[in-house]
Amino acid sequence: MNKLIPMLKKKSYEIRKSMLEMCIKAGTGHVTSSLSCIDILVALYYGNILNHVPQNPTCEKRDRFILSKGQASPALYAILADAGYYKKSELDKFAQKGGIFGVHLQNDVPGVEITSGSLGLGLGIAAGIALGAKMDRDLYLVFALLGDGECYEGSIWETAMFASHNRLNNLIAIIDRNYLCVTDFTENLIALEPLEDKWKSFGWDTQRIDGHSFESLLSALSNLRSRRSSKPLVIIADTTKGEGVEHVSNNPLWHGLAPKGKDAEYARQCLNRRYANE
Amino acid sequence: MSNISQRDAFWTRIYEIAKEQRNLVVISADMGAPALDNFRRDLPSQFINAGIAEQNALLIAAGLCMTGKKVFVYAIAPFLVLRCLEQTRVLNAIMNNPITLVGVGAGFGYEDSGPTHHITEDIAIMRAMPRIEICSITDSVMATAFADISYNMKTTNYVRLDRLLFPDIYHSDSNFSEGVSVIKESNDIYIAATGSMVHTALEIALQLEKKKINVGVIDVYKIPINTDTFIKKIRKAKKLISLEEHFLPGGLGSTICEILNDHNILIPVKRLGIPVEKHYCYKYGGREVIRGYYGIDKRSIEKEIINFVSN
Repeated sequence: MNKLIPMLKKKSYEIRKSMLEMCIKAGTGHVTSSLSCIDILVALYYGNILNHVPQNPTCEKRDRFILSKGQASPALYAILADAGYYKKSELDKFAQKGGIFGVHLQNDVPGVEITSGSLGLGLGIAAGIALGAKMDRDLYLVFALLGDGECYEGSIWETAMFASHNRLNNLIAIIDRNYLCVTDFTENLIALEPLEDKWKSFGWDTQRIDGHSFESLLSALSNLRSRRSSKPLVIIADTTKGEGVEHVSNNPLWHGLAPKGKDAEYARQCLNRRYANE
Repeated sequence: MSNISQRDAFWTRIYEIAKEQRNLVVISADMGAPALDNFRRDLPSQFINAGIAEQNALLIAAGLCMTGKKVFVYAIAPFLVLRCLEQTRVLNAIMNNPITLVGVGAGFGYEDSGPTHHITEDIAIMRAMPRIEICSITDSVMATAFADISYNMKTTNYVRLDRLLFPDIYHSDSNFSEGVSVIKESNDIYIAATGSMVHTALEIALQLEKKKINVGVIDVYKIPINTDTFIKKIRKAKKLISLEEHFLPGGLGSTICEILNDHNILIPVKRLGIPVEKHYCYKYGGREVIRGYYGIDKRSIEKEIINFVSN
């Protein structure tokens, strides 16, 4: 087992907890969307994958991380606070008067690259940055985390074609494949599967992994810098929307909500129980 | 008549700048121009054809901009303004990536191509968002000047090029910093026009002179309008006519009326443009035929102005 994994599991618990508390306090925030991608974010930020400098958020050599599914901003905000981009006390002011951030991602927060909330934009911006890096012969990588529901946007596929044609092998897309949109499951709405085949046919290298297993995440994300392929890479990470909090997970009715009252208390218990059992 | 189109004038100058400034990148949504052929041949690493995919063209532009490039995105105007409008709103108006959007075919410029290729709402749409300056180009001299102005801009601008040839009104030493210029002086009545209609206004003003009616012409080529300058330029006016090849709601006439109202300048204004009540149209046989359908051909405009002036 990778030596980092116990630490990553602890981080995953801590970030889930602080994300949940900030949303409970604010009474808003996309809790389930955040829970489904927290393990991916923890692997990137704490698994020695992403080159980033919290003391110098705009450091030119940093890898660029683009959170295209901007509704998962609470997850990223909790991580950036923990990593030292700003004071943890900012989390207490999430989506409140005097706070520096709200429900959807904004690019003026230290450590955040783009404004997101409108879906289908992040991958194209990431591809533009990746192309710019190639023009300048810069060696940083560009990561974009997409929601699976976001893949209904036509602009995603315009970019998918563009990125492979332009051999943007410094671009890594990760799809948070939780199978849920706002009102229903993707395969009921308009089937996204076979998703891996779609990306392959658009000229991308693909991997499909368990998005809640740090073993799988680290093995997919490590050694990306020595990857020998001219193609961009997409990692389809199978996840559960609401992972770690049983009564809200895999349930369309919990999209975009923060638990209140008894639900909030139960959510806290779920997280504690889950961590104690690991 | 100028022997060079606004498009060719603009891209010729961009090509010259790009040879010196290697951070200048052009993204074309599969649009060409003779000057761009040279660009593509001589500066291939600074030219990207994004295909007929305007949304992605804007996204790639924003990403490149975030790595320090000055990007010009080029497409047929309606597709550049409308197909990727939300990209413009998020990437430019909200995130403030200073990109230059270059749209060709202002108004009915793509005459016989029908309403999908006409752009008669772009001023209303683009001026509804912050951080976007509309540069409504009048002639090839101005087009050349706006290549340099655009390269140096710190916010987004939308360069609105006409597709057809017009005589040059300006000179190589003309200054375009004010955004409004008086093309023809008058004592009391002015036509404020934009784009191709500046030429029409000038022709009509010269016609009216023969009938002893003295009408001045003001070219409004930057929107939002520089309010102080505009008010100074029209201070002598007792009546004002706005003239645009654009739907009336939200266009040049609207913005002028807003300025006059907000500054308590109570002079009569006649707005001439495309009435929405007449919808989009399928009319062929040239620009003047289409304008005629909407009542903004030269004859109709002249008649309207004579009525307005004499009442």
